[in-house]
Amino acid sequence: MILPIGPIHPALKEPVRLKLKTQGEKVISAEIDYGYVHRGIERVMEGKTWQKAIFLSERVCGICSYIHTQTFAETFEKMAGEKVPLRAQYLRSLTNELDRIQSHFIANSTYFKALEHETLFMYMLHLREPVMDAIELLTGNRVNMGWNVVGGVRMDAKEKHLNSIYQIITHLESEYDKYVQMFDQGPLVGLRSKDVGKMSNEDAIKGRAVGPIGRASGIKHDVREDHHTYQDEFDWKVIWRKEGDNYARTMNRFDEITESIKIIKQVIENIPPGEVRKKIDIPAGYEEWRNEAPRGEVSYYIESNGNLIKNISIRTPSIMNIDVCGKYMLKDVATVADAVATYASVDPCVACTERVVILNEKGEKREFDGLHKVKYLK
Amino acid sequence: MLDGLKDVVRKSSIHVCLINTGGCNGCDIEVVALLSPRYDLEQYGIYVHNNPREADVLLITGAVTEQWKKNLQRIYAKAPEPKVVVTIGNCPLTGDVFNQEGCSVYAPVSDFIPVDAEIPGCPPRPSEILAAILAVGPDAIAAKGRQKP
Repeated sequence: MILPIGPIHPALKEPVRLKLKTQGEKVISAEIDYGYVHRGIERVMEGKTWQKAIFLSERVCGICSYIHTQTFAETFEKMAGEKVPLRAQYLRSLTNELDRIQSHFIANSTYFKALEHETLFMYMLHLREPVMDAIELLTGNRVNMGWNVVGGVRMDAKEKHLNSIYQIITHLESEYDKYVQMFDQGPLVGLRSKDVGKMSNEDAIKGRAVGPIGRASGIKHDVREDHHTYQDEFDWKVIWRKEGDNYARTMNRFDEITESIKIIKQVIENIPPGEVRKKIDIPAGYEEWRNEAPRGEVSYYIESNGNLIKNISIRTPSIMNIDVCGKYMLKDVATVADAVATYASVDPCVACTERVVILNEKGEKREFDGLHKVKYLK
Repeated sequence: MLDGLKDVVRKSSIHVCLINTGGCNGCDIEVVALLSPRYDLEQYGIYVHNNPREADVLLITGAVTEQWKKNLQRIYAKAPEPKVVVTIGNCPLTGDVFNQEGCSVYAPVSDFIPVDAEIPGCPPRPSEILAAILAVGPDAIAAKGRQKP
């Protein structure tokens, strides 16, 4: 029997359609359809200056909006062959880690909501609010921050604001362990999470899983390792696990929050004085740049004629993660309730994924446009 | 008397369905933030459960995409009377940054379904969303409920 879920459904926060093939209560396989929020952002960006396009790149995804502007700006900076001032690099890392913390909190809270564990859901959102305050203190906005520009960040952070953020983070660190223990050692949550939605290491590599989903299945890969600021300035380590089940994915995100707290403390303790923005002349050329978003690797490919963007392509992590979820995790799941929880554990961000280029067997490019229509491009 | 009783019941228990018709997710997570203990939406008798078939308030975030042109009206028809539509953010109002040449959005939402309240902002703060739902929700639902078909 085919059981359709969505696009608007109590279990889902975003419009997506799950088609579960069930036998009694057991889920045999699943198919995931998306295309409900395709807006065509990349097409609009073409022929615009970066000053206009950076606002569009911010609105690719609302949850991880920060990393999109950073990657966009760093692609242009690489094109010009320049690095931003060190203080700006520190401030970018600070905002990036704050954004990662709030995104992981909301991902885990959604997972607990899918498990119907309302208590932890509320605790997670309660811990998240101070972090949102810290983001607002630093950038002036809660979600779409408008914080990055090509050449640095928009404005300098005041000393007293950095001190307040340090206090917020210290308080979070002292509270945090209690709630992680609740998940880690809670018998009922463990029963619903361990050995559910398992993905083996081979499947994760085959499906190109990225971010916490890939790392929970034993792929030790974090793009921050290749980033010059994280390489040179901070002491941190990549979190990874081997189990590959819902428990590992959730726990992986919890441990990454601990790591982010460590980085934020180093940033505020060691931040150097100086400029936060410098003028960069953008040459004509083609460049690509990758960064670690909360959900995994996000890549930007930009071709510019020196002033306007000629061509731009964005790859977001959720497209691979939703794909491996449908293919490998939602296979032989014991109950439909577990299937919904497994889908939530992948931390899907549908607004991110709605830009796909599909190649057919002849190598012709097809543009993904809506759910059933596919236009051929020459 | 029956109308008065129905008014009390309708005002004190409001079910909300959140529909993302092609936004960036930013407004959606601000609605999720409303559930947190700091704002605590449920103390006002408002319950977010995303089921259009028992919704009193439809919260709409996002400009209308190709897929949603027909589906939005279908979902609106599925919600039982009396119902109120509240749109969140700039996207349902004007299309925001997406409303440009080449983009496949068809804002505003009011072209497709009747809208009762609109909250501008990209995204609006959770407190603004809460204030708008409370300002328009209970009274409008009660008033619409008293209208004879």
